[in-house]
Amino acid sequence: MTSAELIAKLKERFGASVRGVSEINPNKVRVEVAPDSVAPVCEALYRDYGARFIITAGIDSRPERGCFDVDHVFSLDPDKTFVIVRASVPPDAPSLDSITPRVPAAYWAERELYDVVGVKAEGHPDPRRLIMPDDWPDDVFPLRKDVKHGDWPSLGEENADASYPWKPAPEGTSTVVVGPFFPVLEEPAQLRLYVDGERVIDCDYRGFYNHRGIEKMGDSALTYNEIPFIAERICGICGFIHSSCYCETAEEAMGIRAPRRARYIRSLMLEVERIHSHLLWLGIAGHIIGFDTVLMQAWRVREPIMWLCEKITGNRKTYGMNLVGGVRRDIPQEIQPELLEVVDRIEKETAAIIDAVVGDTVLKARLSGVGVLPEEKARELAVVGPTVRGSNLPLDARVDHPYAAYDEIPPKVITHPDCDNWARVVVRLEETIESIRWIREALKQMPDGPIMASDIPEEIPPEQWGVFVVEAPRGEAIHYVVTGGDNRPARWRVRAPTYQNLQALPYLIAQETIADVPITLGSMDPCFSCTERTEIVNVRSGESKVLDQQELLRLSREATERMRGR
Amino acid sequence: MIISKLKEAIICFKAGRVTLPYPFKPHDPAENFRGRVTVDAEKCIGCAGCAEVCPSRCIIVTDPSPDKRVIEFFLERCTYCARCAEVCPEDAVTATQEFETATNDTQDMHIKVELFMSTCRRCGRCYEPPTPLDRPMETGMRPPAGGNGNGEG
Ligand code: SF4
Ligand code: SF4
Repeated sequence: MTSAELIAKLKERFGASVRGVSEINPNKVRVEVAPDSVAPVCEALYRDYGARFIITAGIDSRPERGCFDVDHVFSLDPDKTFVIVRASVPPDAPSLDSITPRVPAAYWAERELYDVVGVKAEGHPDPRRLIMPDDWPDDVFPLRKDVKHGDWPSLGEENADASYPWKPAPEGTSTVVVGPFFPVLEEPAQLRLYVDGERVIDCDYRGFYNHRGIEKMGDSALTYNEIPFIAERICGICGFIHSSCYCETAEEAMGIRAPRRARYIRSLMLEVERIHSHLLWLGIAGHIIGFDTVLMQAWRVREPIMWLCEKITGNRKTYGMNLVGGVRRDIPQEIQPELLEVVDRIEKETAAIIDAVVGDTVLKARLSGVGVLPEEKARELAVVGPTVRGSNLPLDARVDHPYAAYDEIPPKVITHPDCDNWARVVVRLEETIESIRWIREALKQMPDGPIMASDIPEEIPPEQWGVFVVEAPRGEAIHYVVTGGDNRPARWRVRAPTYQNLQALPYLIAQETIADVPITLGSMDPCFSCTERTEIVNVRSGESKVLDQQELLRLSREATERMRGR
Repeated sequence: MIISKLKEAIICFKAGRVTLPYPFKPHDPAENFRGRVTVDAEKCIGCAGCAEVCPSRCIIVTDPSPDKRVIEFFLERCTYCARCAEVCPEDAVTATQEFETATNDTQDMHIKVELFMSTCRRCGRCYEPPTPLDRPMETGMRPPAGGNGNGEG
């Protein structure tokens, strides 16, 4: 179904509720609908037309148009099309019908919508905070334009004692608290497991302890060409996907495209990143289940590609290659044999590891049939990346919405029918090999030419938009840019793959044993700060003192104030 | 099972020893490495181009008096992107090979360049002579006293 047909159908069904259509190209359309028909339109997209929910972006458009815009982004994967459903809501006490009861994948997105922009999702089944700290004032919404970057609201008394309203433990269960510093992934997040004996019945999650306000920086402090460098720091492992996705999106909003060679270089570096990320993950997965040989060997195999990245880009991990309009450094002819040689070696060694672990019956017994996510559930929760491909759904942004050079060399999409932790391991291992094949192919076909566009406009008009997804090692990341004045976007919305995948966690670990929780979580390759209680022991006197939440909060705030030099 | 354990053992034995004796022996980064930046005060003309592009805003330019410009690099915030080195018209900034920047004194990460500038008679802003702006003056295009050379005023 083309987007024109889809819009005709929506118009026929919803009549005058469909108010207007803005289109970049037939594959990217934004449909403006009346606020009261957002929920039915989104439901129709999801249930009847096979659309997959991606993210919601709230935009404070009061300065321009006196309203808040809420954009629900959907993807029609088989048709390679994005459909954005937009509703504009009046500025006083803004609210909109929640779509979560009809489109379950919007669960976090709508909670965030209220947290950061202050548009209430009426009828949301779980309207708790998601992003902002518990003691954050009730009337400050950081992504509104009247909040200036660097403003720090006074944390009044009203919420001083606030703590996260955890889901009540189901009858007959005990609570096991994991975190707030997550033990296996060494990242801040808190998980409460409600267990009956050894079985997990339900769980609740609180993360975002490390919320850095990067989107706010993007629309109030940085300029178009500074964002790629900050975007790259969204993730500590696969940062290049964010700068690439942002650049492709900003280029689209500006009506330009990076030269072909630059797009090949982006794709090559993205595949290099996938190889190192998957090997890193393999090591960690091994470590989680106590198989440290895999950790040591996978990371050893990975190291040469990191060194090569340093040679090509100037840094082993943070490549800093992308600018709006192209890339900063070329992959010169001289270095290509070395790149081929390194990937050849990695291919051989990864194949040896695969060969060894696939026959390891202990390993297989540990992973098979655990953390099962059936196809239907994977679609409902709109999970992405190896998590969804391990559930047998061939979803891959490189093929569904080609970007960079993937339109010229499509990669093979790897799926696995088992829907469990084992399936996700196999998918990643095979993808590593596929990335190597792709790199060889791309080096053969890489065109000559400039690496930076020459037609970058001096002035970028406001209210232009662009949307792109990029297949990160962990799944699909989306960037959505709406241009503004002052040489910076009016809104830059980012959704990392783990955002969607983590929402599937309660489902994945229900009825599993506690011992399987770490690896099940680890099988999604999550990328996720806060302490509630700590004990101080004076080693000399042996005296001990327990700091409670209030005490710790006070100490933390004092430390923050000291650091901010006030 | 046993076979796969043997295979795993072979992988480990074949790998041999891979750790490097760093930090006991220095480990040089790649040629193109983007390390700590340095500024050549002799070359800098105070154009502020570097401050304009620095994504982490760690280059601060101030004009404490009409003929003085101070360019400060607060490198504890530096992201090592080397955009400053890329845009500098005079190649005054270079990304070095240096990566061992850990210190317990943040002053070690500060660079301050003080430039004595001339003030442009037209706009009143400062610049470091001789620059392209001086060329008109050197070729005798100095505006006559009491006028700006455009036949106005
Ligand atoms: S390297 Fe980048 S972050 Fe560091 S001073 Fe230069 S422009 Fe700023
Ligand atoms: S270092 Fe270079 S870019 Fe920065 S002010 Fe000096 S001349 Fe200009």
